[in-house]
Amino acid sequence: MIKIENLNLKLDNLIFFENASITIPKNEITVLVGLNGTGKTTLLKVISGLLKPQSIKIEKSYKELFYLPQRIKYPQGITLFEYIESSFYKNSWKWFVTKEEKEKIEEVIALLELTDKKNTLIDNLSSGELQKANIALGLATKADILLLDEPISNMDLINQIKVLDIVKKISSTGITCVMVLHDINLSSSYGDNFIGLTKNKKVIQKKKDDFFTSENLKEIYGIDFKVIKDDKDFHIQIFN
Amino acid sequence: MKKKISIFVLLIILALSLYLALFAGYNDIGINLFSKLFNLENDSDNMLLTLLRFPRALKALIAGVCLALAGMFMQAISKNPLAEPYITGVSAGAGLGIVLSILFLNSSNYSIFGFLGALFACVLVVLFSGFSKFSITKLILIGLSINVFANALMSLIILINPMKSYTMMLVLSGGVTNNEIISNKFLFLIFVVLLIISALFVPKLNFLRLDSSLLETNKNKKYFYSATIIALCAFLTSISVFAAGILGFIGIIVPQISKMLFGYDYRYLFVSNILLGASVVLIADFCARSVIYPLQVPLGLVVAFIGAPVFVYFLTKKGDMFND
Repeated sequence: MIKIENLNLKLDNLIFFENASITIPKNEITVLVGLNGTGKTTLLKVISGLLKPQSIKIEKSYKELFYLPQRIKYPQGITLFEYIESSFYKNSWKWFVTKEEKEKIEEVIALLELTDKKNTLIDNLSSGELQKANIALGLATKADILLLDEPISNMDLINQIKVLDIVKKISSTGITCVMVLHDINLSSSYGDNFIGLTKNKKVIQKKKDDFFTSENLKEIYGIDFKVIKDDKDFHIQIFN
Repeated sequence: MKKKISIFVLLIILALSLYLALFAGYNDIGINLFSKLFNLENDSDNMLLTLLRFPRALKALIAGVCLALAGMFMQAISKNPLAEPYITGVSAGAGLGIVLSILFLNSSNYSIFGFLGALFACVLVVLFSGFSKFSITKLILIGLSINVFANALMSLIILINPMKSYTMMLVLSGGVTNNEIISNKFLFLIFVVLLIISALFVPKLNFLRLDSSLLETNKNKKYFYSATIIALCAFLTSISVFAAGILGFIGIIVPQISKMLFGYDYRYLFVSNILLGASVVLIADFCARSVIYPLQVPLGLVVAFIGAPVFVYFLTKKGDMFND
């Protein structure tokens, strides 16, 4: 769990957060939504400690954090397995990963349903598979909290759903996930908690059932939405 | 499997280059020397081998390996395929050291002054780059500035001393010289120590190959590894200057060809750079002393004449690996 209070952040005289409080519950999926430039990525950077705000009171109870930025480059000429192996050389001075580490990698690869691509070169993976490989990289380092910045951008619908299914599966194994998503319908069916960042520097933080109301969405996006709820899911339409 | 075969081929190439370096040339010793080698007959072949060819081959080998490894390290931590060992101001520092030693000391021990100049330039670059807010781009730009400054100074000295300019130009073209200010055994010892330290840091390169934004949460580790590796590069390059003068291009082509063969697994790249770096300089040195015998072509020029076309050939075959 992460509990942030009294967050004040100003970058080049541009205020991002004013006395904001944010809670990220353990073992759940928290989705960050908001327009471009409202500070979603900035918030992820604050949480991962890459950005030092003017003031912050933070309580955290996780062991290892993994932050996956929006766009990254991949080393060429190595297989998926070797890619995931990379993170094991961080602390070890050994030339080869140990047997247990190898088993851990295999386990993570299996969890992400990448076993058949294990020995494929990174260069030949699709963007959905690459994103899963990145998540695997985080899990292999025993991260118990994943911060994913737009993990499904540039993907077709099926791959978006595949990656989100994986995230859901991971969170059910006791890993906290925080994601930035732009598709509100998809986010409503995968998220447990929602944090909406508005243009007026307000942070709307609610559980799924209380979050999807026309008022909240109007405050975040500035336009009217029609929210329809059936027995388990929300369907959000732009209201004209 | 393919990678293992490639390593095997490189081993054979190194063996051939060692044969050329030790036994071939105008005074062709031939393979039968193997038998003579081990009994202490003091014949002329044996003298030629132990006094001339062996020290020369050793220095060529050391220079090649050090440059290739330094190039690999620089390219790995800067994530820039154009980075090369001389980026840290080493070549210009070495050149200036050599030119000054010829000018003021009339000394023929160029290599030790080249070594000192190289090391001095490195220290200067690293100091200016600062340790606290270390950035590789800053380091490259500072290295570039120091290179430009030292090169200008060097050219000026060469121009206003026409009497000595020929000697200066000749020495600056690079080559394996025979002076015994530091014994070959000691040089070899330093080389082995540097090799062991390099091997220790090879797995770290496999970590640093991840995208730099993924490494940001491990900033401290990244800085520590990068700073240590740069210091290591400074030593590797300075030792190469000591062994064989300034040899441009080795530090950039050998790591690139290795990368085309082995991808980004730095454990393979380490082995490949050692084998290929040694072979390239050994072969170049063989050509340098035998193409227009009894004259010698400066080694640096031979490397350029052979290296550039070979590199361009490789680029036309596998140039698509740079997807920028």
